[in-house]
Order: sequence, then structure tokens, then C-alpha cells
Amino acid sequence: MMRLNLVLLLAVLATALYLVNTQYQSRLLFTALDRANAEAQKLAQDTETLQVEKRTQAAPGRVDQLARAKLQMRPASLAITQYVTYDAGENGHPPAQESAVPQGNGAGPASLANGVAAAAKGGAASKPFPGAPR
Amino acid sequence: MSRSVRYASSPLLASKTPVWRSKFIVAAIALGFVVLAARSAYIQVVDNAFFLKQGEVRFARTLTLPAYRGRILDRNGQILASSVLAPSIWAVPEDVDRENPAVRAKLKQVARLLGMSQQELDKKLRNDDKTFVWIKRQVDQPIAAAIAKLDVKGLYQRTDYKRQYPQADAAAQLVGFTNIEDNGQDGIELEFNKQLAGKAGSRRVIKDRFGRVVEDIGEQVAPVEGKDIQLSIDGQVQFFAYQKLRDAVVKAKAESGSIIVIDAVTGDLLAMANYPSFDPNNRKDLTGEQLRNRAMTDVGEPGSTMKPFTIATALQLGRVTPQTVIDTRPGRITVTGATIHDDSDFGILTVQGVIQKSSNVGATKISQRLSAQEMWDTFTSVGFGQKPQITFPGAVTGRLRPWRTWRPIEKATMSYGYGLSASLLQIAHAYTAFAHDGSVIPISLLKTEAPAVGVPVFSPKVALEVRQMLHMVTGPGGTAPLAQTVGYSVGGKTGTARKQAGKGYSNKYRAWFTGMAPIDKPRIVVAVMINAPSSGGYFGGLLAAPVFSEVVQQTLRIMNVPPDLAVKPDIVAQSVRETS
Repeated sequence: MMRLNLVLLLAVLATALYLVNTQYQSRLLFTALDRANAEAQKLAQDTETLQVEKRTQAAPGRVDQLARAKLQMRPASLAITQYVTYDAGENGHPPAQESAVPQGNGAGPASLANGVAAAAKGGAASKPFPGAPR
Repeated sequence: MSRSVRYASSPLLASKTPVWRSKFIVAAIALGFVVLAARSAYIQVVDNAFFLKQGEVRFARTLTLPAYRGRILDRNGQILASSVLAPSIWAVPEDVDRENPAVRAKLKQVARLLGMSQQELDKKLRNDDKTFVWIKRQVDQPIAAAIAKLDVKGLYQRTDYKRQYPQADAAAQLVGFTNIEDNGQDGIELEFNKQLAGKAGSRRVIKDRFGRVVEDIGEQVAPVEGKDIQLSIDGQVQFFAYQKLRDAVVKAKAESGSIIVIDAVTGDLLAMANYPSFDPNNRKDLTGEQLRNRAMTDVGEPGSTMKPFTIATALQLGRVTPQTVIDTRPGRITVTGATIHDDSDFGILTVQGVIQKSSNVGATKISQRLSAQEMWDTFTSVGFGQKPQITFPGAVTGRLRPWRTWRPIEKATMSYGYGLSASLLQIAHAYTAFAHDGSVIPISLLKTEAPAVGVPVFSPKVALEVRQMLHMVTGPGGTAPLAQTVGYSVGGKTGTARKQAGKGYSNKYRAWFTGMAPIDKPRIVVAVMINAPSSGGYFGGLLAAPVFSEVVQQTLRIMNVPPDLAVKPDIVAQSVRETS
């Protein structure tokens, strides 16, 4: 009887210590999880900050000013814009039609506003649109 | 060895101990244990609330889970306003050891990082009996990180958010701004504050002595994030509109100016800009007159921009046709004792000519074929004197008195836009009736894709006839040839109204131009107002029409509307040697 009790006592002690250890481990893990969550949140905030920063840098006003001052560009006008209609015909080739101006060699003066358009879209997925200048 | 216990060597104590005494001691100790066990059972099981609470007070903390304020986006999803992390620096002055040279050196660096003088920082920290003082709120993150690195005792940081506006002054009045607590104060920020704000959540946790969260207790209330608001504004159109308006206002040395661009198909507001403007990123700028969204909050007499409505009413009711002849000689007319003048004697005009030349006498004569009620009905149904459907802080109703109170002279002046008042938005909105085949469409601040369903005011035929007249205004012999633009046919109406001052009129003017393009099938309505110009004339056709021209050109190009007029190409072919 005495021996059995001793065994049980040892068993209880062992499981008790194991429980304490498990609890400790779980807290360690929880702390790590919490830290990771905080990190994720911080990264999300950094993303937002960078996105806003990118937008500020690509704001039409700033791009316009820089394009004028540094690159000597000027706003695009219709006179230097070639309109093409996108016709999803066979072969998937967009044939050029209905041009507002006769085709040039595409070596026209650099157009500022298109530069603005491209820069201002700033990495957002740009979809192909009809009427894009060639 | 004897088995008896010898407690002492003293013979006096040699007597044998009675058994009950040792039993009594055992019993007493046992009783003590029982009491202890009972008490601990009572504390731990029965009456544990007090101790649980005390334990919690020491280890449990409620963390606020902040809800981020939603972003304001333009119609292409580009950010117009967003909140970014900007920690605030605060201090416990009594904990900052300002006598210590090492701390002083660090404080000097802190002051430099924060862009304040050391005296300023010292002044904030001098108040020793205070346990809390803000050093600087909403500091940029890199600066906050550098300050945290210095690790000055008594200096702390709090998570804070700062609203950023990438478009800066171009859309300032429309987007509005928030206060330092990130609550909307003006513009869209105020109007949609509820949706944008979100609701903070909370979380109950146990923290260990290092301040680490080790366990969640109780329920977690998740934060409700603020919703993003997508406006109908197009960031690029907005910028171009603002830029052209700014240049015009500066050139004319005017007090202010406003411009509105509306999509004539969907009713989406594509741009709304005012000048002078301000930079909402700079908190010091957030006072004064430039905060007003003048295009919506300021009213004025529309002047001649009203004439198309008078004439459309007459056309609709069959009182005139576009070719009806109106004699405007000798350039003036007397109505109940008051004389109405034209700029010069336009002679005999058709109804078309009345619009083209902007003849007050002609408009008056046409209005004499209408009753006051008929005019009032039209003006009201296109939105004059009515509350604008767009809700916006400070949007005004304008003034259009009930027709019963109109005197004959007032009926005459109203036919050419005096005696009633409207905001630029109301005028632009009213013109959608001509642009949208006779139906006035609701204006939307939020992005919509579907064509708007309008309320018919005029028949499509009348709308077409008026559009032709508006087109003539911008042609040779009209009042606004400067409104023409390369590649697109345009039409519009000028307005030049003297500003009221007290009971009479001052010698200040408002120059208006409202029009649409392409004129056959309008895609946009653009309204421009230049307020109190002081250099280079004051006529709408001279000041406002060129702004219209440039904005139409850029807007239609951005919207990918193909030109409807032949364009003389300016593409220079150059031989380019290709390198492989």
C-alpha cells in the first residue's frame, strides 16, 4: 500500500512539473505569436506609409513640374496623339484604324501628359485601353 | 539505554509526562491545520472574487485594438487621403534628468530631430510638477525611431496616426481634412466620417513583468476597420483643372476661382477645384477663407449663364423657335421705368443670335412671352433654389424667390440671371439638362458606372437646339471664341455678373463660363467661375472660357474620348537609326 502511494505521489509530482513546463512553453509560443502579429501589423503600416509616399512622389502636380523643369516636356495635345481603335479580331492583332491623324513614324516630340499618366498610375496594374497613344 | 524519554537532566523534570498532554498538542496543531485548510478552501473556492480582482489588477491589461481610418480614393483607386503611423512623443518631466550632461547632450539631439530649439524643449520639460507633457505630436516615423534609439529616460512615444494627402492643394477643399485625433473636420472627411472612422476593438491580456503579452483572457472584441471611400473624382482631371484654374486666377489677379467637371453621362463629379487653396498636410494652413469649397458654398448671381434656360423654356412651350426674329434695337429696353442695356446695339437677332451675342434685351423680350410661373417651374426643376442632392458640409441652396412675388422688372432681370443666386455646382448641374438630352441628372460624389437616370425637363429636340446655340457662342461672332479647343467641338455660355455690395452693385465682377463637349454627344460639363478679377478684363468669355478650353482638352484626352474634329497633325517624322 505504502509503495503504491509513493508511486502515485511521484507520478503526481512528475505530471505537475510537466504541466508547469507545458504552461511555460505555451506562454513562450504565445509571446512569439503576439510579437509576430505586432510585426505583421507594423509591416502593414509600413506598406501603407510607403504607398502614400509613392503616391506623393507620383502626384500629378509634382510629376508635371519635374517633367517641365527637368525633362523639358510639354503637355500632350491631340495634334501629336494617334488614336487607334482596339478590335479584338482574328490573330489577336489590334489593327490600327480610324486614326485622327495620319500615321507618323512614332518619333514625335515626347509628350508630357502621357508621362504624367504613366507615372501617376504608379505601378497600379495598367490595363490596355483603346485610344492609347502609340 | 532505557527506552523512556529523558527530557532533561534536571531531577525536577524527571517525572513522567502524562500522555494526554502530548495528545493535546497534536490535536491543537491538527486543529490549526484544519482552520488553515478551511480558510484556504474558502478563499480559493467560495469567496475568491476579491483576490481574483487583485490578481488581475496586477497582471491583466486591456489593450485597445485601433481601427484604421479608411482611405479616400479617386475613381481609379489612387489614394487621395490615407492615415499613416506617426508616433507622438511625450514625457514625464520629473523623470528627465536635465542636470546630467549626458542627458543634456541627448536632449539636444532630440530637439534637433524634432526641429525645435533647445529652449523650446527645455520649456516643455521645465514644469517639474507635471507628470505628462506632449513634446511633439505626429512625428514622422524615421524621426521617432531615431529618438527611440537615443533612449532618454522619461521620454516616451505613443502610437498615433497622421492623415496624409498626396494631392496636397489640388483637391484640398473637396477631400477636407481631419483634426489631430483623426476625426473628420471638413469636406469628404467630415461628410463620410462615420464610414471612414471605424470602431476600435479591445483585448484583455495578461502581461508578464517584461510587459510581454503571455495570455489572452476573456473575449476579444475585434476592431471594425474604417471603410475606404471611392470618390467619383479623377485625380488627373482634378489636377489639370486645378492647375489651369490657378494659372487663370493668378493671371487675372482675381480674388478666387472655382471649377467643376461633371461626367455628362453618369453624373459623376470628375473634378472640383478652388483657388486659393491650402496644403492639408500642413496643420498650420488649416485656417482662413481658403478652406471653403467655394464651388459649393458660395453663391452669386449667374448672369448670362441663365439665358439658355429662359430660351429653352420658350422653345419647350413653343413660344419661339430658334429662327424667331427678335428686335433688340436700340440696345436697350425699358420695363416699368427701369432700363435694361445691352453691351452694344445688336440690331435684329434670331433667338439663336440672342444666345450667341448674349443680348439682355433679347432675353427680356423672350421672357415677356413667358409667365413668371413658367420660368420659375423651369428654374426650379433644373435645381435653382433647391437643396443640392449631394450632401456636403456647407453646401448651399441658393436663392430663387417664389414666382408670385416677382415684379415685372424682376422677371425681366431673372431672364438674364440677375435677382437669383446659385452656386457653381448648381449651375453645372443645371447644364446637364442640355448635355443629357433634356434630362437633368443627379450629381454623384461617389463612383458610379451606370448611366444616370435623369428627370426630363426639356425635350431632346429642345436640348439639341440649345446645344447648337451654345456651340454658336464659341464660334465666330459669339461671345466666347476662346472656349474653342483643338479636336473637340464645344459649346457653352458666358456670364459676366456685377457683384452685389450692400443694396447696390459694386464695380467688381464674376466671370462665368459653363459649357460642354463634344457638343453633339456631350461627355463632360465644365463650369468655371473667376471671382473679382482685377487685371486683363472681366468678361466670362475672356477669363473663364480659356480655362474651359484647356480643361476640356485635357479631360477628354484623359477619358480617351476620340476627337470629333479634324486635327492638323503635328507629328514630325524623323529618321531614327535603330540599334540592335
